Amino acid sequence: MKKLFALLLAIALLTAAFGAVADGWPAKDITIICTHGAGGDTDYNARMISRYLEKKLGVSVTVTNVTGSNGNIAMNQYKDGDNSGYTFVMTNTAALVGNEVTGVSDFTYEAFEPVAIYGRQSGENIIVMADSPYNTLQDLIDASKAAPETISFGISTGGGVYIAATILNANGLACNFVDQGDANSRLVALLGGNSQVTDAPYATVKEYIEAGQVKSLCTLLGERPTLIPDIPTASETVPDCVINTLYVCLAPKGTDPAIVAAMNAAILDIINNDADYAEECLSYNLQAPWALSVEDTLTELKNQRDTFVKYLELF
Amino acid sequence: MNPDIMTGISSVLTSPMTLLFILIGTMVGIVFGAIPGLTATMAIVMFLPVTYAMSATEGISTLVALYIGGISGGLISAILLNIPGTPSSVATCFDGRPMANKGQAAKALGVGIFFSFLGTIFGVIMLIFISPALASVAIKFGAYEYCALSIFSLSLVITLTGKDMVKGIISAVVGAMFATVGLSPIDSRMRYTFGSVDMQAGFKLLVFLIGLFAITEVVKVAANVRKEQNFTAEENVRLKGLGFSFREFTSQIVNLFRSALIGLGIGILPGIGGGVSCMLSYTVAKNTSKHPEKFGTGVIDGVVASETANNAGIGGAMIPLLSLGIPGDPATAMLLGGFMVHDIAPGPLIFQKNGPVMYGIFTAMILASIVMCLFMFGGLRGIVKVLKIPKYYLLPVIVMLCCVGAIGDSNRMFDVWGVLIFGLIGYFFAKAEIPTTPMILGFILGPMFEENLRRASKLAQSDPITNHPISIVFLAITVIAVALSVRSNMKQRKKTEAKE
Repeated sequence: MKKLFALLLAIALLTAAFGAVADGWPAKDITIICTHGAGGDTDYNARMISRYLEKKLGVSVTVTNVTGSNGNIAMNQYKDGDNSGYTFVMTNTAALVGNEVTGVSDFTYEAFEPVAIYGRQSGENIIVMADSPYNTLQDLIDASKAAPETISFGISTGGGVYIAATILNANGLACNFVDQGDANSRLVALLGGNSQVTDAPYATVKEYIEAGQVKSLCTLLGERPTLIPDIPTASETVPDCVINTLYVCLAPKGTDPAIVAAMNAAILDIINNDADYAEECLSYNLQAPWALSVEDTLTELKNQRDTFVKYLELF
Repeated sequence: MNPDIMTGISSVLTSPMTLLFILIGTMVGIVFGAIPGLTATMAIVMFLPVTYAMSATEGISTLVALYIGGISGGLISAILLNIPGTPSSVATCFDGRPMANKGQAAKALGVGIFFSFLGTIFGVIMLIFISPALASVAIKFGAYEYCALSIFSLSLVITLTGKDMVKGIISAVVGAMFATVGLSPIDSRMRYTFGSVDMQAGFKLLVFLIGLFAITEVVKVAANVRKEQNFTAEENVRLKGLGFSFREFTSQIVNLFRSALIGLGIGILPGIGGGVSCMLSYTVAKNTSKHPEKFGTGVIDGVVASETANNAGIGGAMIPLLSLGIPGDPATAMLLGGFMVHDIAPGPLIFQKNGPVMYGIFTAMILASIVMCLFMFGGLRGIVKVLKIPKYYLLPVIVMLCCVGAIGDSNRMFDVWGVLIFGLIGYFFAKAEIPTTPMILGFILGPMFEENLRRASKLAQSDPITNHPISIVFLAITVIAVALSVRSNMKQRKKTEAKE
């Protein structure tokens, strides 16, 4: 009884706190700018959370795709955009942090008021053909050391895949890294025998892994995803090799911190408590929903940027 | 059997909306094809934004229906007005009009429509069989092969479109240059962005095509709007049955297959398109005929040759589009844009990744050709009336829809300016008699060439070109094709000089 009372009190206090600072928000419709095109994972996650936000906040939440330059067009346009609390930007951390590090943009997450990291991608996987002699990342590293520069590894320059390759290279993987374009083209190259190893999002190669044509050596995520627990992580072999592509919600610079906090609370509530959302998220991202508070979001973005910068200096 | 086939077929047949879109698409396409100055490409440009909100199968079915309708509709004005509705029907005039003058307009139309139908079906069947096979070969293609293939395709376009090779090269190079704006492939460096963030994303294929096709055509028509149009339409047309006898049909079977194969082959080769295939097929039919002297006086052989070939080219042009991601002509370049909007990547994996959509499209193409046949036989009188609508009512609507289409893709005003600027560039090109097809192929193939050249040069140390015989063959054919074309160009110049 005491516990229940304490919980009720806490909820009442929290509601009161938000009620006091973000009074009357949201009073009108919210626009979400998605930095990537319709059909991709960034768009899917932005639209998924927006549908639930609409129910939760009681106003219409519209997603508009403004695309180009790995999200930089939209981010550049909206970083100093309408900061009244009714415009938000949804993107992924590889674009937000990676664009600055690789020189595509001249600003980083600090140009925005980060609201929340609200999800994890199904994860990039290092894949080989099913009949390949390599079964683990360690096998691959050993083989590459025995005959340096002979195993060709398909990558795309810039972005998470590139950074992963740089980290692996610095930790002993002596492959011949060849640019083979986007995930789909890299898969084509692997299937056509134009590369022996490549790196692709799990969602892109799912049907090939299930059909037994391709096998995954490891995922680049920091932790094994809920639905595919039998795939090891790269960090079990090379501790630094973690590429967590996370979905993040940002507000234009100067947005009222109280509104940022209220939006974060709304997102966290959906992520932590909505069973329907959990189910949808699990089937698309292959892992349970997950989100961070405003502070943890900032810390995570800083960590990602630090790792990226550390390894890019190697080149 | 591959379960995707059944899923694909039933996704079209059981969806009333898709069926309705195919019906509307084909009818609109026919009207666009029939009105001189409006083309199949323009019909696709106009309806592309409408498909943004549809599912992939619905959207692309609509676009292929417009394509089939647009290529077929041209024969109506070719026969009744003596003006080809589209470049694909130029050769239809040669015998179609004399037939109409002899009072056989109905027969000419009947033959044209029916053989258009047979040509389309032939092309689609070939597409269904060839394109998965080509896809399974193309999966072995790497940087060397794509590099050689893009050079091969570009050289064909340059040498075969238009009369002047130099103008072809100018056009292709300008197209390739526009494609370099933005982030470079491989290392994402900024090129020609002039500090503008909008330029960083580069020009979109759709923006480029909409500008070059729709706006340029509108400006061209606007420039001639005060000129009097003196065409006389044949209006008293009565179709009885198909309009021709069974014996006349059987006499054309050899012609049918020969023309269909020519159309298919020209369709597969990049950049040449329906205009050339109908002319070529007509010439071949004439040269191999037992009565070549009757061609041009109103024999059905000429109509059959032209209409079968241009329609068979539809399936042909889609083969490299689906299996390699290389469009054969402006209309399929627009379709490529449509695929991109729906997040379908043409290439060797298309049948594995988007199997149901592919078989859905094939089903839609067959349905569209049936609709085309029925609508043209049944709705002929209505179509003739539409031909009389003054174009100044249609053109502003087209311009507006094009701008909506441009903005709808990535929601920025920059793309609208892009459309207008490319439209003007296209108009100046038209004035200078520089063909624009090489420009479009340059825009698509230029980046493909650059990317694969850079990859291949990185591979060269460990995996030399001698390991890639296919690419060497393509390069060799390219050299031969260019050499032959230079020779024929020089011969022609000598001839004209001798005349002077």
